[in-house]
Amino acid sequence: MATHAPTHAHTEHGHGHHAPPKPLWYWWKRAIVWTISGAIAGIALVYFFRLVFGMDPLWQPQAYYAAITMFAGMGFVIGIGCFDWWWAYLRGKRVDFEDHSLHGAKSWRDYLRPNTDHKVIGIQYMVATFSFFVVGGLLAELVRLELAQPGMQFADAETYNGYFSAHATIMIFGFVIPSFAGLANYVLPVMIGAKDMAFPRLNALSFWLLLPAGVMLAVAPFVGSFSSGWTAYPPLSVQGTTGQTLFECAVQFAGASSIATALNFLVTIMTMRAPGMTVWRMPLLVWANATTSGLVVFGTPFIAGSQFMTFFDRVVGTNFFNAANGGDVIMYQHVFWFYSHPAVYIMMLPGFGIISEVVSTFARKPIFGYRAVAFSTVAIALLGFGVWAHHMFVSGMASWLRIPMMITTIVIAVPTGVKIFSWLGTIWNGKIHLKTPMIWALGFIFTFVIGGLSGVFLGTLTSDIALTDTYFVVAHIHYVFFGGSVFTIFAGTYYWFPKMTGKMYSETLGKWHFWLTFVGFNGTFFPQHWLGALGMPRRVADYDERFADMNLIVSISSLGMVIGTAIFFYNMIYSWKKGAPAPWNPWRGRSLEWLVSSPPSLFNFDAEPQVVGGPYQYGIPGARHAVVYAGDHLGGGELTETEKRTILVVANRTIASSGLLDQVRAKAAEGFWRFTLVVPAKGEDHRAAERRLQIALAVLAEAGIDASGTVEDLSPLEAVKRVQEEEPAHEIFLATLPLAESAWMRQDMVDRIRKASGLAVTRVTVLGDDARTAVRSGAVRRVAVIANDTIGDAGLVAALRSRADEQPLGVVILCPLSLDSPGCSDDADRARDEATVRTRALIEQLQDSGIQAAGEVVDGDPGAAAKIARTDYGVDTVLVASYRRSTGWVVGQVRAAVGDTAVEHVVVDTEAPAAPSGA
Amino acid sequence: MAAEHTATIASHGDVATPGRGSGISRGMLAMIIFIGSEAMLFASFFAAYFMVRYNIADNDWPPVKDIATGERFEPPVVLTGVNTLFLVFSSFTVWFAEHRLKHGDRKGLERGLLVTMFLGLTFLVVQINEYVHLGFTPQDKAFGAAFYTLTGFHGLHVFVGLCLLLICYLRVKRAHDFTPQWSTPLNAASLYWHFVDVVWVFLYVVVYLI
Ligand code: HEM
Ligand SMILES: [Cu+2]
Repeated sequence: MATHAPTHAHTEHGHGHHAPPKPLWYWWKRAIVWTISGAIAGIALVYFFRLVFGMDPLWQPQAYYAAITMFAGMGFVIGIGCFDWWWAYLRGKRVDFEDHSLHGAKSWRDYLRPNTDHKVIGIQYMVATFSFFVVGGLLAELVRLELAQPGMQFADAETYNGYFSAHATIMIFGFVIPSFAGLANYVLPVMIGAKDMAFPRLNALSFWLLLPAGVMLAVAPFVGSFSSGWTAYPPLSVQGTTGQTLFECAVQFAGASSIATALNFLVTIMTMRAPGMTVWRMPLLVWANATTSGLVVFGTPFIAGSQFMTFFDRVVGTNFFNAANGGDVIMYQHVFWFYSHPAVYIMMLPGFGIISEVVSTFARKPIFGYRAVAFSTVAIALLGFGVWAHHMFVSGMASWLRIPMMITTIVIAVPTGVKIFSWLGTIWNGKIHLKTPMIWALGFIFTFVIGGLSGVFLGTLTSDIALTDTYFVVAHIHYVFFGGSVFTIFAGTYYWFPKMTGKMYSETLGKWHFWLTFVGFNGTFFPQHWLGALGMPRRVADYDERFADMNLIVSISSLGMVIGTAIFFYNMIYSWKKGAPAPWNPWRGRSLEWLVSSPPSLFNFDAEPQVVGGPYQYGIPGARHAVVYAGDHLGGGELTETEKRTILVVANRTIASSGLLDQVRAKAAEGFWRFTLVVPAKGEDHRAAERRLQIALAVLAEAGIDASGTVEDLSPLEAVKRVQEEEPAHEIFLATLPLAESAWMRQDMVDRIRKASGLAVTRVTVLGDDARTAVRSGAVRRVAVIANDTIGDAGLVAALRSRADEQPLGVVILCPLSLDSPGCSDDADRARDEATVRTRALIEQLQDSGIQAAGEVVDGDPGAAAKIARTDYGVDTVLVASYRRSTGWVVGQVRAAVGDTAVEHVVVDTEAPAAPSGA
Repeated sequence: MAAEHTATIASHGDVATPGRGSGISRGMLAMIIFIGSEAMLFASFFAAYFMVRYNIADNDWPPVKDIATGERFEPPVVLTGVNTLFLVFSSFTVWFAEHRLKHGDRKGLERGLLVTMFLGLTFLVVQINEYVHLGFTPQDKAFGAAFYTLTGFHGLHVFVGLCLLLICYLRVKRAHDFTPQWSTPLNAASLYWHFVDVVWVFLYVVVYLI
């Protein structure tokens, strides 16, 4: 029996053999079943353990809660399908290491289950973490509501503690850390020229581990005291109950998630860079994330360790932190801060990376001191492991540690300063474009400098002794976290929004968002410096009367951020659905993500890109960062937005049909196509062909699709050849009527064109009705013509033709028949038949002139017809056609019937050329 | 269209392909980083252990368990020493298994894995037996907490290592996996196993011997 490496497995089990995808609810049902089973298994396991080891009491609720939480969380992740592949692997099944059956999203449903595409995961992260941001923000508003006045308002001390603890924890573990992971997930692989992350399945797992963590944290404050803040110091955290258990479990899940992501980033950056992407050509965002990932991988286990220990003390009854039994409370703080100080840089370095990208792009200048910035990133990370005890100056730790830790702390300000000067140097004399991402970046620099300065006060032992545990620290952390990290997240979200969604956001709303947030932010947190200096302690629900005024200002200012955030969400959601299509490179950026379509294609690059220079060479003539090539199916060669590949769309009668235009639209969504519409009209009415072409072009232009067109007095074959001489094409769409009605099909046109052109020909079949009736599009003016005796008059046709030449029209002919005699007499029938014949003849005449038309005979007066025009056909304009001798009362009647729809009067004159009167 | 995309991807993105310029496969690189992370987890517990240890008045170690009797905590040095040898030996057997595969000897690979797993399992059983006869519990002073947390987390890692080896064994038996040229999962599992051993040797020296 031959052995085989996975590469063979791949060829043997090619793609397309996968079972049909199961519906979404199948996965969620499975997830629910697994979650519940997990909880039950947790209970059983703890019970079994306690029984076997004779532990007393058998019923220790916290042990059970912990087991339920952990096992239910794991059950969810398994049930939703994150482990299916690995399960098959360990059972010895043949598996495909390059299994891409879960890659890419076709509809919103694919976002609601594990997906291995880094772009989908990036969006999953962003949506989930911004939801957590809302939860955390609401908790913050509860805190501010309680603090708006001195005295106890609506929450008792315990509840209040629960609010701010959950607020901080959700913001840190549920929002800031993972949303950086989300942004980087989307753009980082593209930036280094990779098709995906190194371990796509692990990547999916990371995201799905985060969800249980977020849910646990959101539930925690409501199930019993969770009052020790995000730092969870013992002995308070050891005394906590269920909420504390949830916190500890949540930290483990979030920690595992971020370690897995960080590992993935590291391997991706180390092994998957495109040819030519040396480390000194990596964008600074990549540097930042590589360094951050190192911090996560080596730091996060320490918080895991610290939470295990508090958990054992509380639930198992160990004595890590019980001084009476040889334990040591200060030890917790050392272990915790050994992670959590680096963690503040985990939450800042990726933001630094984002700001470098944004500032350079919008100042149109190379990064000032690129290498210095890269080195300073690494320096911050390394030094960051040596400053943890600055959080413990007054904790009673060994006093000899104080001075060294103070010095290292102040030293860290140096590499941080390097970055600030790099941004300022980049902006200096730049050609600054104040787009929303840039405004956020500038706002960030302003607030972050303030946060850094207050950090120096706190890092200096002598002043920290006075300031620690006051609102000064709260001001500091918010200037660095909100004014720092969160501002960079907003900058990054706006910056890459066009890339991620393929849509543009609203600049106006983005600026409103910024200014409201910026003013609200400074109003909220700047006064807290004073409050702290005056001695208002942090983490207390009540305070002295003398702080009342300033606290009220603070609480009111915080509403500015709430309104700003609401605008942000509106902008994002609305623009995602309805925004204008985004070009490939709206900011004229240089790095690789801007050289591919928005959003990038399924695997980002169809051929390996080649990196040839640094990423920030703005303003340097001839400099390039990278060359992106088109895939073989596009004919190879360099791929740029301006050099899109051309598809010839060959059609005559069907050119303006919704069937064909939909097909073109779907193709255009792939990003790299432009379209040349060719209408071969040999021996046919040219004006008619021209009118149809105009409709098609108008519809495509409105959808933001790059298209042009020509009418040729040639056969289809000759027309294709002629157009091909002028511009190289890569594919052909041939649209025809169904087989029976199509002369081209009878002439075997598909095959002949394929042979003559040497290109792939896709046949698009269009039903006759589809081709004849008007396409629904904002670009086509829908016009109802109310006429009776003028129907059949050449003058009316001429009038409509000349209008159609001015503007794409879709016409509805309505022939009102006001019969005096009862509706079912022979006379009436005859009149109706006669009107129908005339109307039909007119419609055909119009269609032959290239005007899409439909119509009917209406029982009733012109007013009734006008109502139908408005309600059933939804027309933009009503034309009332009559001979000169008719009176204006008909027009009046129609006007009255249609309200604010435009009504015009066409005077048909058999002799004179028709012209609309001003009536 | 989609099929074309995946085809291009497959030829580039194989897990067995060495990473650009690093000469090491992605799987191994990931395992090395993961081991670094695991090492930090143990580091956090060792840090806790040392802080607790140097907190004890006049550095009286191992601490007194019961002041009334003056009885001290005494982990069994000899029995665990023998157990340590089992684990160290298993590092050699797993190396042997990999080595046999390099020579195309699949039977040797299977045997090597089996012996390794047997030794690992023996270690775990002896360790659990030790827990039962130790005479102190995790609740006995901070020493008990640190001792059980360190050895317990190590035991958990032995268990995880055993699972990884078992998966490799199943892959060998059922899927005829691994060739002399390509055996990344096996190498990764074996590296992890070495790591678990090294941690144990360090732990034994620190917690039992000195
Ligand atoms: C020049 C740079 C910085 C210095 C010198 C500095 C210094 C300090 C010091 C000494 C403390 C302890 C205050 C106390 O509890 O008494 C502190 C607290 C804190 N810093 Fe910074 N910091 C700096 C930058 C940052 C950055 C960039 C972040 C995060 C993005 C950050 C996040 C925090 C947080 C979250 C706390 C409060 C922790 C708690 O809840 O107790 N700091 N900082
Ligand atoms: Cu710090």
